[in-house]
Amino acid sequence: MSLKFQKELQQLVADQVISEDISNKISEYYDQKRRKQPNKLFTIFGIFGSLLIGSGIILMLAHNWDDFSRMTKTILAFVPLLLGQLIAGYAILKDKSRTWKEASGTFLFFAVGASISLVSQIYNISGDLGDFLKTWTLLCLPLLYLLRSHAVGLLVILLGTYYAAEVGIWSYRSNNTPWFYVLFVLGVLPHYWFQVRKHITANTTTIFNWILPASFMVGLGAFISNNSELGFVMYVTLFGIFYNIGKLPAFQKIRTLRNGFLILGSLGTIILLMIFTFKWPWEELIDTWVYHSQEFYISCFFGVIAVLLLCYTIIKKGVQFVNLFQVSFILFWMLFFLVAANPFIAMICTNILVFILGITAIKIGSDKLNFGILNYGLLIVSILIICRFFDTDMSFVIRGLLFVIVGAGFFFTNYLMLKKQRKSQTM
Amino acid sequence: MIIGKFYLTLEKKLKYNKMKIIYLFILFVIVALAQIFVPLHMIVDKEDTLMSGVAYKFKTRPIDPTDPFRGKYITLQYEMDHFETKDSTYVVGEEIYIYLKNDEQGFAEISQISKEALEISKDYVTARVSYYYDNKVNFYLPFNTFYMEETKAYDAEVAYTKANRDSLPANVYALVYIKEDKAVLKDVYINDTPIQEYVEK
Repeated sequence: MSLKFQKELQQLVADQVISEDISNKISEYYDQKRRKQPNKLFTIFGIFGSLLIGSGIILMLAHNWDDFSRMTKTILAFVPLLLGQLIAGYAILKDKSRTWKEASGTFLFFAVGASISLVSQIYNISGDLGDFLKTWTLLCLPLLYLLRSHAVGLLVILLGTYYAAEVGIWSYRSNNTPWFYVLFVLGVLPHYWFQVRKHITANTTTIFNWILPASFMVGLGAFISNNSELGFVMYVTLFGIFYNIGKLPAFQKIRTLRNGFLILGSLGTIILLMIFTFKWPWEELIDTWVYHSQEFYISCFFGVIAVLLLCYTIIKKGVQFVNLFQVSFILFWMLFFLVAANPFIAMICTNILVFILGITAIKIGSDKLNFGILNYGLLIVSILIICRFFDTDMSFVIRGLLFVIVGAGFFFTNYLMLKKQRKSQTM
Repeated sequence: MIIGKFYLTLEKKLKYNKMKIIYLFILFVIVALAQIFVPLHMIVDKEDTLMSGVAYKFKTRPIDPTDPFRGKYITLQYEMDHFETKDSTYVVGEEIYIYLKNDEQGFAEISQISKEALEISKDYVTARVSYYYDNKVNFYLPFNTFYMEETKAYDAEVAYTKANRDSLPANVYALVYIKEDKAVLKDVYINDTPIQEYVEK
């Protein structure tokens, strides 16, 4: 128990708010609670320690000692791997603590990559980076469940994303699609789902809440090949999925800042829609995409998932809890596939949609008495107005006047909210 | 009675836990074997090619001097990087088969190229198409990195560039062992001396 808290307790006893007896009980309660928890700091240092030792060994071997024979070098390449396996195996067999499992998992993860790359070095294998990353991740994915290690989970996501970007985005010479990325994601999801169900408030879950959608955003780019126009539909639908996941009942217990799916979903939707409030994207969209394409099928698949998530929320909580952000991907689909032939109408509709989304955010913020969301809504409306400056011929007087009105709007709304908050506090 | 029952369930739980750990451990051993198998398989493959494969000498070309120094390996470029053909259907990134023969001086030369493996007894390497232009299909061979001890890598790169620029024909070449679809780059020679020794001189 912290010193500050103990002082507070003593103060409360001195001020006769609580009795000495209650104060003792409280401190005993917290002491017991603390004893039950594993030492988090120790686990974190364990992970970093094994990271450093692992990479140190790899660096030493990477010197590529010419004095050693090929045989010696080859044997040395297996040393970190076998060492990591021994420690991890021991941790499983003796059912050791979290710290043991996290640290040995991290070490073994790097040892697997090291042994493959050292063998590549010994035999001058130029190799394909994408293939190497794929093999490495595949060989380590099971460790996530065998050791129940969050660190391994995070590393699998990071490496899997790297693999997807390498194969699908960076290697311009090949037009392969990194399908194994889907396998990696599916491999990590059960672990994540278990975390959400059982430990939604834990910090590790928060890290996953952010890193998973961020990885999907990068990963999806690797699946766009020839029909890049449909990429917009894919991304809007992906952000629709994110937002609807963030709105699931399971996520209602945590603060908005911990809900990466909700924030990234909302931001992504707004940024993409904001692009389509201009006329030029609609004009560039000539009906050139093919329905019989990878991009279209992925969009449809995402659409089904997003609609299913939406239906689940409606069934669980009722239609009145659904806000415009949750359905905006459906509206975008309608605009893209039905109205896009007429760029002017499509542009007007998108402007209206973004404006209402801004108003929705303002309303959510004011209902929840949340200044962050309120100002986010105001920001959406303001950016929309500023964007319209670029493609309309307005005199500087009117533009200036509009700026003043937007600024005043910020002050006024925040002031009203502050008043409302004070009122609710005094009630 | 109640205490007895409690102990029974506790014992069951412990037994279950033990079983769980044993299953987990067995699964772990399988994963660990797979982790060992992958690098081991690579080694066996390469050793097999080195021992029973056919050695070819590939002439190298000067590398682009603006190419940044790339750590502890040198990047090789080969004279064999294109083939004249009227077939313009080669796709960038596509894997093609390069069938080999030796020229009079004992250096590797292309006998033919193909998009699919052919039923002939000639040795071949797989390469990736980089572009098609002017009735030539350009490709890059897969064995283009040669690892060096880090202290020697820079000197080796300098020596490699210098030797490649000398007017002497074919003074720098890579020795590659080939067996079926496997190719192992064994060494790089400058004036018939392995590059490691050449650098030490």
